[in-house]
Amino acid sequence: MFIKENFKMALDSIFANKMRSFLTMLGIIIGIASVIAILAVGNGATEEITATFSELGATTISLDATDPEQSGDLITNEDLTILRQSIDEINYISPNETTSGTVSNDGEARVAVVSYGTPDLQYLTQTMSSSLIEGRYFNEADYADAQDVVVIDSDGAEALFGRVDVVGETIRITVQQQQMNLRVVGVVEGSFGNLQGAFEESELPLFMAMPYTTVSNTLPQVDGIDSVIIEVQSTDQIEPVSQQVVRILELRHDAVGENIYNAQNFLQALDQVDNVLNLFINFIAAVAGIALLVGGIGVMNIMLVSVTERTREIGTRKALGATTSVILVQFLMESIILSLIGGMIGLTLGILLSTLVAGALNITPVITLGSVLLVLLFSSGVGVFFGIYPARKAANLNPIDALRYE
Amino acid sequence: MIEITDIEKIYRMGGEPLKALDKVSLSIKEGEFTSIMGPSGSGKSTLMNILGLLDRFDSGTYKLNGTDVTGLSDSELAGIRNKEIGFVFQSFNLMARMNVLENVMLPLVYAKVPAKERKKRATEALEKVGLGNRLYHLTNEISGGQKQRVAIARAIVNKPSVLMADEPTGNLDSKTTEDIMRIFQDLNKEGTTIVMVTHEPEMAAYTKRIVYFRDGVLQKDENQEPKTLMSKEAN
Repeated sequence: MFIKENFKMALDSIFANKMRSFLTMLGIIIGIASVIAILAVGNGATEEITATFSELGATTISLDATDPEQSGDLITNEDLTILRQSIDEINYISPNETTSGTVSNDGEARVAVVSYGTPDLQYLTQTMSSSLIEGRYFNEADYADAQDVVVIDSDGAEALFGRVDVVGETIRITVQQQQMNLRVVGVVEGSFGNLQGAFEESELPLFMAMPYTTVSNTLPQVDGIDSVIIEVQSTDQIEPVSQQVVRILELRHDAVGENIYNAQNFLQALDQVDNVLNLFINFIAAVAGIALLVGGIGVMNIMLVSVTERTREIGTRKALGATTSVILVQFLMESIILSLIGGMIGLTLGILLSTLVAGALNITPVITLGSVLLVLLFSSGVGVFFGIYPARKAANLNPIDALRYE
Repeated sequence: MIEITDIEKIYRMGGEPLKALDKVSLSIKEGEFTSIMGPSGSGKSTLMNILGLLDRFDSGTYKLNGTDVTGLSDSELAGIRNKEIGFVFQSFNLMARMNVLENVMLPLVYAKVPAKERKKRATEALEKVGLGNRLYHLTNEISGGQKQRVAIARAIVNKPSVLMADEPTGNLDSKTTEDIMRIFQDLNKEGTTIVMVTHEPEMAAYTKRIVYFRDGVLQKDENQEPKTLMSKEAN
């Protein structure tokens, strides 16, 4: 009842004490601004991470073997062959290993990052899977015979030879004190682009890929495989295939139930990251919630002051015919509008803040209609919750006592 | 129209109970202009508050326009105050943040009169007290006498059956006091019933009937020929 009149009266009263109203709103403003900013930045980060993960492949399983007691061959080349033969859903499977070494072709030593695995590696990793521009990738025959072959990226070729058509050239590489002479069989598109700016041109590492068999033959230190990457045909095969892989390995290595083999997929990893992120968001949101609570108490406090200051006004209104419920609605409306204005200022500030923070973190803030509505609803809720006591106090005043109040 | 019988009002504050009104019976007819007189503490204001339904009493009966108001709820009493009683207070009690027109419209807001009608009736009431040209002034921009005239307009805007004034000229100088009394007499001539509390005999002289109180007891009740003021256009 009297919505329009009450609204006007509430605004009049709020604007009559501008400074006081603003200070009262401050708690709400800070609380709401933080909630909005946290939600926007948090949602932005989640979306960013989700996008990155799905780019990496939602059909990839990464298998790790760790045994604190035993350092034997946890996964062998034979295991991979068996897995590939016994599980139809596996598209590609390869060791997922990297080592580093030094290349010194013209006396100048360069750092090389060497990935090694099966020929499937070309479909599985980020760094050495870009499209071929010269020659071929190392193949099953190279792999079976542990040929001294290597695939290099065009930036590496450019750095070593000053040109890209380097198929047939030899690269001398030293890895863990062992020297290898590797024949270049293919050149893929360079991947320096991503790293430019992070390194000096001459310090950029050279990226290359070679068969696992060649590495394990040459380097005695390399004993077995402890990281494997598998691609299945579709996302829903990830779980069953993971279980199957772990089971086969456990049976073959007599390690049932020993928790040596751990199959992780990106969905799980995404879930974990999401969980951590959500925990973080919820924690900060709870802190912001406390700010809101304090803001609400501020509203209650100022409304109690307002009721006391306006006791005679309340008495007069009652004399003129205002009923208990009319006075209740009037003061409740005032605290709701006070909180709501605070909420709207906080919302604006929060959007600004999230744009700033997200800009600094290089992500896009995500402000949903849902979070805006939530904030507005919540601040009205604060107004009702913390306004009801002062409003009741005003409404229940005895008219004659209120009129006589000095 | 007002009919009270054996009204008792007892204040219990700490020590022994204090009888503010002791079996007071009084009847006021339509069209009367009555002043209630007595020294402070005599119970005259208590009686006024009870007559105005602002305060409750301990025993006795009160019939307003034939209705017994004894057992009514707070909301029902608020409704009767709104429709039947107009108040004029010593300290005006206007809403500081509202303009003159809004102040006068307030009782009509509570009476749920539509906005357009509210404005029309409030303007008429203000014209009646000579403030037709001050509608949009804030109440802190006008003089004390003008404030009290706004309060009178507010009291009569909902056409109440009785107008109750509590020391209406207590805060005013003698010139504006005459203006206010003239307005009261004019309203009374047009048929408005008025009850006025005052402790000044000069004010009571303008009324048709004087009721004296002392120590919560009605002592004297007499009719008189009121001192007349020349009716003039209020400025």
